Amino acid sequence: MTQRPNQRGATRQSVKATQHHWPTRSAFQPGKYFRQHQATLAESFMRLVHYPLASVMTVMVIAIALSLPGGLYVLLKNVHAVTDQWEQQSVITLYLFPELEDTQALALSHRLSAQEEIASVEYISKEEGLRYFERSSGYEQIMSALPENPLPIVLRVLPNEVVDVATLPNLQALRDQLASQKEVDHAELDAQWLQRLASILSFGQRFSYALSILLIVAVLLIVGNTIRMAVESRRDEVLVMKLVGATDAYIRRPFLYMGFWFGVLGGCFASLCILVLSWWVSSPAERLIELYQSGFQLQTFNADEIVLCLTISALVGVIGAWIAVNRHIANIELQ
Amino acid sequence: MEIEFQRVGKKYESGQEALSQVSFHLQQGEMAFLTGHSGAGKSTLMKLMMMIERQTSGQILIDGVDLRTLSRRAIPQHRRRVGVVFQNHQLLFDRSVFHNVALPLQVSGADPQQIAKRVRAALDKVGLLDKEKYNPMALSGGEQQRIGIARAVVNKPQLLLADEPTGNLDPKLSAEIMNLFQEFNRVGVTVLVASHDLALVARMRHRVLTLSHGRMVNDGGFGS
Repeated sequence: MTQRPNQRGATRQSVKATQHHWPTRSAFQPGKYFRQHQATLAESFMRLVHYPLASVMTVMVIAIALSLPGGLYVLLKNVHAVTDQWEQQSVITLYLFPELEDTQALALSHRLSAQEEIASVEYISKEEGLRYFERSSGYEQIMSALPENPLPIVLRVLPNEVVDVATLPNLQALRDQLASQKEVDHAELDAQWLQRLASILSFGQRFSYALSILLIVAVLLIVGNTIRMAVESRRDEVLVMKLVGATDAYIRRPFLYMGFWFGVLGGCFASLCILVLSWWVSSPAERLIELYQSGFQLQTFNADEIVLCLTISALVGVIGAWIAVNRHIANIELQ
Repeated sequence: MEIEFQRVGKKYESGQEALSQVSFHLQQGEMAFLTGHSGAGKSTLMKLMMMIERQTSGQILIDGVDLRTLSRRAIPQHRRRVGVVFQNHQLLFDRSVFHNVALPLQVSGADPQQIAKRVRAALDKVGLLDKEKYNPMALSGGEQQRIGIARAVVNKPQLLLADEPTGNLDPKLSAEIMNLFQEFNRVGVTVLVASHDLALVARMRHRVLTLSHGRMVNDGGFGS
């Protein structure tokens, strides 16, 4: 962006026009632009190779920090894969209002059996309920002492689908829908252990998200600190470049690429760690699976996930570098 | 390039007044020396022209353009048109002579063939073409200074500024360096050299600007 002088002597203007061409920002030239970037990309990589020990240490710290959430992710993925196979035939029990007549209850029962997500409805009258209760509780005498049967009519609704962790919300929705029927006093979904499993899983997920965020912040700080030292060690170079007319973007670029390399290499090693780790646990895990005779296959990082891991780590590297470079290059001024 | 200072003042935040009411006019293609005791404001004046510092009063016109109208983002473009040589050569010792001289071209994104051609031409002018692969650390002080000059002119600037370019060189080398500046001036480059070596300045027989305590006390003559 070049600003032209806003005030010039009228006499001077005619003379000036012939002799100077004030810098206009050169037009965007893709060839030149990409050549510069390519050169900087290679150069910043060579710089890492030039200080192998320091670079490897930084990369390994990043890799370890990234492989923790990555490993947790793989673990959760496997837990999900296992638990998805655990199904339960569940029942929704509807307790109707005690004052309801048999005819009304039967009508409801018919209406519900017609719903497509319901396989069957079992009708338990007040008397059947009482008999069942007496048989199972051993409170025969007490029950017979009561002036009247206190039990309500009960409908046992069998849903069409077998429920697992993933489809649990559907069933919960069905339960809520049934509970809202005007005849129904109370509706209970009998899938307690699945519900518990679902909450444990969602807890695990939250926990791994929180851990991932913390570790990604840690990677940002590691990259930031490494780049800060790199900027400091190249202070003279930055000064000379400013003196000969380098733009801030030009000065920033090698450091951003450095962050990129740290991120990508860290991501590569993290993926490798996870692959090695899953290979290491695979044989005991498979034995365990055999014992349960499940058709489950142990899962590890697939290609998509490796690409995602590298993308995230490269991005984190560049962002970390960006923050550090912006803070520290501004401090290096010609005097 | 033409330079005009109109009652330029520079007061640092510490309250120190480095320049006050400095006015002079350097024509396109002119060569002049800037002298004065140390602390007289020579370096500050150079820094104002490079936009390393900004003046606190007055006007600096370079080719008729008021430097105050240039934004921070226009500074790199401005510096690419000005070559500078400093006493402490500001060479980078992590790369060869060639790459030191190539730096101004690299930052402006010239293509590699062009860079090689121009770098060799600049090294040839300062007589160090055979040293392009050396590390500048391996060269003598005079040679290092000439590398600095090659770097300053590699971009074909229209203005060449030198701040004490002969500061720690012996008289013979100093004269050689000065002759180099004169050669560039002969092909149309405006040259301003700050130096406190009055004897040398007097021998060169160019216009002399003298600063004292931040004021221009003498403009013209050939020194005395």
